[in-house]
Amino acid sequence: MKDLMAERTVDTQKLKISARNVQVYYGDTHAIKDVNVDIEDKTVTAFIGPSGCGKSTFLRCINRMNDTIDVCRVQGDIMIDGEDIYDKRVDPVQLRAKVGMVFQKPNPFPKSIYDNVAYGPRIHGLAKNKADLDDIVERALRRGAIWNEVKDRLDAPGTGLSGGQQQRLCIARAVATEPEVLLMDEPCSALDPIATAQVEELIDELRQNYSVVIVTHSMQQAARVSQKTAFFHLGNLVEYGETGTIFTNPTDPRTESYITGRIG
Amino acid sequence: MSELFNGLIGGSAAGLMVIVVLGLSALGFYMARSRAMASGGGDRRNLHSLPNYYGWNAAMLTAVPALGVLVIWLLAQPMMIDSAVFKTIPDSAIAEGSSRGLVMSDVRRLADGLDVIVERGVMDAESAATLDANTTDLRATLAAEGVALGSAVEQPVLDAAQMYRTQSSTGRFWMTVLVSAIALLAFVVSLRLATADFRARNVVEKGILALLILSASIAILTTVGIVLSMLFESINFFRLHSWTDFFFGSTWAPNFRGDSDLSILPLLWGTLYISIIALLVAVPIGLFSAIYLSEYAGPKVRSAAKPLLEILAGIPTIVYGLFALLTVGPALVNIFGRGEQGLLGVEWMSGATSVLTAGLVMGIMLIPFVSSLSDDIINAVPQAMRDGSLGLGATHSETIRQVVIPAALPGIVGAILLAASRAIGETMIVVLGAGAIAKISANPLEAMTTITTRIVSQLTGDTNFASPETLVAFALGLTLFVLTLGLNVIALYIVRKYREQYD
Repeated sequence: MKDLMAERTVDTQKLKISARNVQVYYGDTHAIKDVNVDIEDKTVTAFIGPSGCGKSTFLRCINRMNDTIDVCRVQGDIMIDGEDIYDKRVDPVQLRAKVGMVFQKPNPFPKSIYDNVAYGPRIHGLAKNKADLDDIVERALRRGAIWNEVKDRLDAPGTGLSGGQQQRLCIARAVATEPEVLLMDEPCSALDPIATAQVEELIDELRQNYSVVIVTHSMQQAARVSQKTAFFHLGNLVEYGETGTIFTNPTDPRTESYITGRIG
Repeated sequence: MSELFNGLIGGSAAGLMVIVVLGLSALGFYMARSRAMASGGGDRRNLHSLPNYYGWNAAMLTAVPALGVLVIWLLAQPMMIDSAVFKTIPDSAIAEGSSRGLVMSDVRRLADGLDVIVERGVMDAESAATLDANTTDLRATLAAEGVALGSAVEQPVLDAAQMYRTQSSTGRFWMTVLVSAIALLAFVVSLRLATADFRARNVVEKGILALLILSASIAILTTVGIVLSMLFESINFFRLHSWTDFFFGSTWAPNFRGDSDLSILPLLWGTLYISIIALLVAVPIGLFSAIYLSEYAGPKVRSAAKPLLEILAGIPTIVYGLFALLTVGPALVNIFGRGEQGLLGVEWMSGATSVLTAGLVMGIMLIPFVSSLSDDIINAVPQAMRDGSLGLGATHSETIRQVVIPAALPGIVGAILLAASRAIGETMIVVLGAGAIAKISANPLEAMTTITTRIVSQLTGDTNFASPETLVAFALGLTLFVLTLGLNVIALYIVRKYREQYD
């Protein structure tokens, strides 16, 4: 217990992502209002809040996925390692290689399991030769905790796996490009409890290497996997702090209402 | 106006019957509706169904059986009278070189002609029924009224025509009686049914279901009918001509004195060659435009460009044919022909019609076909796929090449096969653009001919219908049908298999 506490204090010293006065508009709708948040390295940060509160939108700002939506405008600064990712010199394509993303619904490509995982490394030229690529794929699948289930059928289509396996494949696919930050948009909402437990276990392991940001509807999940929790409501970041504090002793009445089930 | 009305009704007992039955059924609608309301005590909540359903039920019951019997009667009566009259014509009445069928059509025309002159008051019904072919010049009398007969009227023919007329009028009388009886009976029964407990809504919906099934089966039965008619004529053809020559011979040389070489291979080669060129044009252009429209174009460009592309699909193929003949062909001759005066200074192409001319224009025709189908298919690829790829740091074009197109590929292949089957069946462009020389050659600048073009030319013109030179058109058509049907089946199978993946 003491070790764990010590580890946590070490972690908190290194800042990975910091957002200042972030505003997001969808056309005329003001979806994110003035959000300031500091996300630490090697930490799992959970975003919770009722539907439509802007937590997914904010998550998609961190790897500029909102750029692909025509009507979406982002204002304010988001820094990763002190570098403004909305600067003109930053190529969103390269940014996304550094900030991986796992989506709500498992979305394996209609390719083989191997090609699904090798997709990112191939695009970014991470492997020098075939053996190297094989290594990367194996390592990613092991980190995705799915290697043992698929090692004998790497040529089978990724779409033929079960939902939980597909989601772990997508996580393996995301870690194969060696990102520094992993964004997860409700990664377990399409999964059954067993698959959810597997993915949660995986998230906890991923924390050793990455800064993980997870959006979730399940407050139990946020409490189980995260060290830090941010509560969003109607586009505002209401409260942000240690997960334990948020769930046991929230300062804002809105957080308390949401956690106890009175709103949302 | 009133003359037209008389023509419609007075001319045919059937027209009158239809109007009477429909009138009765309209009456049934209102009466059943009010009867049902009355039986529910004036409150529609006491009824099983909405009042209109009782009305529709009565209208349906009155009209459908009566009209059905009417239609069947109208189809059956001429056939039965024909066969009855047919037997009475003596062999002596059939002239040299004529046939019983030809005499029979004379009989029918004469009978119709007599009806016409009676109706116009040239002759009263009494004297028309007791005419004597030897004393009256019927041919002249009828010609004065605009009814042309092939030859002077013989007594046996006149007798047969009179028999035809009497049987027809008897038939009409009984038809009127039967149809009216059925309509009236159904009218009364349906009115009695219109009480509060009657499940009119369910009955009406069964009627609608029957209508839907009927429509679907008409479409399917027509297809079957087309195939069968082609099949029988093809069998006739293969009785007269060896099937080995048709399928495996190498020359197409129809000769109207008989003894022709009728092999499908040169035509099939021309068809496939032109289709391949057309697909080489249409597939890349159509696919690229689909990718641009679905992935890159903004909403404004899209809303303007898509309808413009689809205008191409609405141009009649004969207009494409003219375009091939008058614009593309001469332009190609300018490039590849005319020796020193041409663009390349070569003499490879002499006439405007060639495989390349037809192929290019047909390719243009197929562009909207390929592009709009592919566009739909690309749009059906889930956004989650694109997000997944973009989220891994792939660029937009890498995403399209490596994720979107592979995901859409089965559907795109299906679209291409559908386009191919259209190319193979296309007629007007090749009639005008491809030329008429049947040969197997690899030179795309030469004129060649296709299956469809030959079908047109074998069936137009005045050859004996029973000769192999004419009947070959049906064998060609059947082969074409089997070919395109096969392609369509494969295409639909692929498209359907693809759909199962994402829905």
